[in-house]
Amino acid sequence: MRTLPLIFHIRRGAMDDGPGIRTTVFFKGCPLSCAWCHNPEAISPLPELMVDQDRCLDDDCRSCAQSCDNATGNCTACASCVAACPTLARQVIGQTMAIDELCRLILADRHFYRASGGGVTLSGGEPTMHHDYVTTLLRIMKEEGVGTALQTCGYFDTTRFCDEMLANLDLIYFDLKLADGNLHRIHTGRDNALILKNLAMLAAIAKERLVVRVPLVPGITATENNLSAIASIVRDLGIARWELLPYNPGGLHKRRKLGKRLPRGVAEIPMGRDEEQAFRELFSRSLRILESIDKIRRQSCRSTFITQ
Amino acid sequence: MNITLNDTRLAELSFAHLPLLERLRSQNLAARAEVCIERARWITSSLRASASVVPALPMATRYSGAVRDFLSNKQPVFPDDNLLAGTTTSKPFGAPVYPELTGVTIWPELDTISTRRKNPQKMAQGDADELNLEIFPYWLEESILEATRKREGNPPEMRLFEKIVFFLAGKAGAISHTVPCYRIALERGVQWLIDEARRLGSTTTGDQALFYDSMATALEGIVAYAANLSAEADRLAARESDPEKKRNYASMAEVCARVPAQPAGTFREAINSLWLLQIAIHAENINMAVSPGRLDQILYPWYRRDIDGGALSVKEAVELVGCLWLKLNDNTNLVPETAEELFGGAGTVPAVTLGGVDAEGEDAVNDLTYVMLRVTELLKTRDPSVNARFHPEKNSVVYLRRVAEVIKNSRSVPALYNDQAAVATLTGQGVAIDHARDYAIIGCVELSASGRSYDASSSIMLNLVAALEMTLYNGKRPVTGDAQIGPMSGDPTRFTSFAEFESAFKTQLSWLIGEAVKLNEKLGKTHQQKMPTPLLSALFEGPMASGRDLIFGGALYNASGATHIGFADTVDSLSAIEQVVFIEGKYTMADLLRGLAGNFSGSARAMGAWLANRAPKYGTDHPAAIRNSANLIRFLFDTYQNHTNYRGGRYRPAFWTMTNHAGQGKLAGALPSGRLAHTVFASGITPVSQAAKDLTTCLNRVGGLDPRLIPGGEAFNMKMVPVNSDEDFDRFAGYIQGYFAAGGLHIQFNLMDYAMLMDAKEHPDNYPDLLVRVSGYSAYFRDLNDAMKDEILIRTAYDTASGQALPLPDMPLPPSPSPVSGEVSLVVNPVLKLALGKFEQCLLNELADDFLELLLDGMKLAFLLDGEYRRNIKGFSGRYLFRSVDRSVTVATLFAGGKMKVVDGEIDNPHVTLIFKDGRAVMKFLLSGNPDILGSMLRQEITPEGNLNYLYKFAYMARRLQLMATGKL
Repeated sequence: MRTLPLIFHIRRGAMDDGPGIRTTVFFKGCPLSCAWCHNPEAISPLPELMVDQDRCLDDDCRSCAQSCDNATGNCTACASCVAACPTLARQVIGQTMAIDELCRLILADRHFYRASGGGVTLSGGEPTMHHDYVTTLLRIMKEEGVGTALQTCGYFDTTRFCDEMLANLDLIYFDLKLADGNLHRIHTGRDNALILKNLAMLAAIAKERLVVRVPLVPGITATENNLSAIASIVRDLGIARWELLPYNPGGLHKRRKLGKRLPRGVAEIPMGRDEEQAFRELFSRSLRILESIDKIRRQSCRSTFITQ
Repeated sequence: MNITLNDTRLAELSFAHLPLLERLRSQNLAARAEVCIERARWITSSLRASASVVPALPMATRYSGAVRDFLSNKQPVFPDDNLLAGTTTSKPFGAPVYPELTGVTIWPELDTISTRRKNPQKMAQGDADELNLEIFPYWLEESILEATRKREGNPPEMRLFEKIVFFLAGKAGAISHTVPCYRIALERGVQWLIDEARRLGSTTTGDQALFYDSMATALEGIVAYAANLSAEADRLAARESDPEKKRNYASMAEVCARVPAQPAGTFREAINSLWLLQIAIHAENINMAVSPGRLDQILYPWYRRDIDGGALSVKEAVELVGCLWLKLNDNTNLVPETAEELFGGAGTVPAVTLGGVDAEGEDAVNDLTYVMLRVTELLKTRDPSVNARFHPEKNSVVYLRRVAEVIKNSRSVPALYNDQAAVATLTGQGVAIDHARDYAIIGCVELSASGRSYDASSSIMLNLVAALEMTLYNGKRPVTGDAQIGPMSGDPTRFTSFAEFESAFKTQLSWLIGEAVKLNEKLGKTHQQKMPTPLLSALFEGPMASGRDLIFGGALYNASGATHIGFADTVDSLSAIEQVVFIEGKYTMADLLRGLAGNFSGSARAMGAWLANRAPKYGTDHPAAIRNSANLIRFLFDTYQNHTNYRGGRYRPAFWTMTNHAGQGKLAGALPSGRLAHTVFASGITPVSQAAKDLTTCLNRVGGLDPRLIPGGEAFNMKMVPVNSDEDFDRFAGYIQGYFAAGGLHIQFNLMDYAMLMDAKEHPDNYPDLLVRVSGYSAYFRDLNDAMKDEILIRTAYDTASGQALPLPDMPLPPSPSPVSGEVSLVVNPVLKLALGKFEQCLLNELADDFLELLLDGMKLAFLLDGEYRRNIKGFSGRYLFRSVDRSVTVATLFAGGKMKVVDGEIDNPHVTLIFKDGRAVMKFLLSGNPDILGSMLRQEITPEGNLNYLYKFAYMARRLQLMATGKL
């Protein structure tokens, strides 16, 4: 192992990230930089300082100022203020963890996985960016009989993924944000060609382990055009399992704590339940229409054939 | 066990098909508590009469006679359409009076208990007068506490107990806490027990013969009570015009004509017989945690036979079990206002235990288990406290999921126990394996080899934080000021290692345990002298064979339980001291003590935050927290197991706290864990709120404590946001399985979030039946005091979606709307009213300097002018001494020959001495409608010394005078 990846959070006992009770490991670093990202602290692969001003004791404390060696005022992310902060208001996002240490931690909850059919979920950021580490981790987990799941943005090296990771994955949550390549580039910073290619590949060889997830971002991904286009991809690839994820503006709050500029055009309030429901219906309707078109086409093909 | 139900959920049996249960339930929820003095009346008159017999009768004879007198004179009443005959009291929802124990503490409140603000208990004026003039005077020197004080010369450990903040001595109020053996009485009948006792009595001599005789005598009371019920039901049947009710009365008449005297023939007879035995136990033993035990096992033979024979349908079984659940809920405890503040909201906690394995270690879950789960799910009543056993290898996951579903639907019950851990724990206490497998829960969470082990599981409730503070302050506690309480264990600022601190802590803790045990032994001896338990002994395995009463060690197994308050706060404080002071050196011990003294305010805010956020916490994987929690458990186990009780059993440490962690927290200073002064402690064995961020880590760490070292039982409170979908719900069961696999012994849930509890606190009327698990028992949220509501509110709620602790809401906790108290008023003789003018002015203007003088003058006048008031001192002789702390006032009051005399200066042998700071303190102590008696005692504004019963009587007379002077209370 060359350098260890940064992990910014580990959730133990979660129900959200796959079947059963799970441990979810969040890796830092992502090839995309979606404006609405729910975990903006996961985009950069480097450690970052996050400050929760609400927790700060201000003039009753000042431990951070006293601990700072840097008189110039330019933060070098040395983290001495983090070590001095009594309230955990200041935190370094991203810690390294030796792989055996991480395994020990995950395996400490195996009795919960066993009872519930759970396991470990790798999330991020983008776990596949740390190819060697994640490959080894998945292999060990498989050997230990722990269920594995991956949450990915789909932007990874197709061959290496198939050759080294896929065999040890029980479940792949594959995010598909925007069907249009141009819009994808504008909102996530990357083209979606590789993502679509990987999706097609997984749909072909690992369909039963694949779940497509579409985040509903108001005005960006949650549009009629985009959702019907994605429905068409899902339909064409014959993908059986898909989920629409409700929008949560929590990422904006975290950007503030990271001292980052807020992106423009990203909704600051959660999507209303009615609106969310309308998009769900739209997506299902698109799938149904595609289905019936398909059926008609098949029938007309057949009739054409008969006529000939 | 073979399950024959088609649907174990019994979903088709809802209230729509069970109108009787629905009606009885709403009546039960709406019922307001009433004090019932029937028991106190008969027991007192019988004991008074037998006291004068010459030559003196032994107490076993007198007491069993009193129990028989009460039971055979007990009114047979049928307050509603319940299918079971028999009531605990003469009221629909009654609080019986046990003057032998703490009943007399209600004396000062006789005029106000009906109208007080928090949980009033209705009492008829005639009953209040009877308690005041007839019943309580007999007990002035006879109650367990005062008899002990007299015999032992007011020993120091008793005075330590009376400071409230070190330990509580349960035996002053109850032994009860036990699981009787009902099986034999159901199978063979009480008449068989009587015959057996008479037979054995005739073949033995001395104490044994006496015991057998007392057993038979007390049991005869049960038979008489059942006969009276039968006759009354017969009479009512004859008068009743409604055919269904008529039929029910006739059935009850028939049932009570047979049981409990004869063996139960049908399921209905068995269940009614069991209920009558439970009532009878309460004629002798206070209604605290007398737990019926494994009802799905005990009643199963009759259920099976009747179902198979076609005499009973599943629906009828649900109805009968539902009737039993509501009957178990027909009584409550008599609670004085001060205790209401400290322990409010508790029921009587008769625990029922379901499921698990049988004596052979095989799956014991049966159809009746599911019937009882369904009833629990439907009724959601405070009592009985329902507990489900689960053996991870023997019981099915289907059963566990059904239990989880009932928890989901009730939001809180049943509590769960791990059979593997519990059986290992009991065998570790010397219980035979088949008896251990037959364990049941007592009261809150205590483990018992049911029907065979007399555990007195609520003997001691010890405050661990008291030992911790005494270590920090060299034997003193902030709340008790400058008094040297514990041994001088060294100036902590001179300690150079954590080992030294730990050793000083152990010195304080061992000393405190020693004091609590000493007092328990003395109280136990008084129980042997004053309150033998022949009736309970008859319903137990052991006494019939050994010829010894339970109280003399007649059971197969014996123990005394000692539970602990402030476990998590103490562990976190020890870990903080180890890590922050001795390893990191971030703060010195002197810094820490300064921070504590100022409650981490001002410049110490950062220190408080550091300790709260960055010191190791129990419930996480931090090695210091793991080590210190394990060490404390081990130390308590070793220390207690070295003490043997007066019945020959060992002391068993436990970790459940009822509501005391809230009350005691309010009385403790800031702690090294970063906890601020006067805030609640964590409950039971649960980590401190917000300390354990990961759900599974928390479950692993609590489960990782060796259950064999926790033989008294533990309460682990887990709050989670409601679980909704069926899939989530299966995973909910997975948390329980995982926790048990980690070694966990007990877990109980509150499935509710912060917002809902805030709303319930602000708008109690919208949540009339919101049931919560406190720290062992269940309570209606609306009945809890504010401190306890807040404690449940701020318990960490876990979000199951993420497995993470949800942060506490930012907004301040809302206050409860304050209930209105009714006024008591009295028409007074105008001449007397005029004469009491000065006293009235003193009360109205709160000019309290002369309070004592005016009070004593007023009393004298009232005795002179008011014949009714004079009755208070007819035949009463009492010697009171009032002394101010600075000794500027010393005045004595003597009552004798129907007269009151006030003399300046000391007197010999006062019954009670009241040492006070000033007139205001006396006024508040004696009269306050919202008594801050604890507060004024702790601030040392008032220190009573001597017989408290005399003081209660005096307070009653003082309040009555206030009523006469001002016309109201």
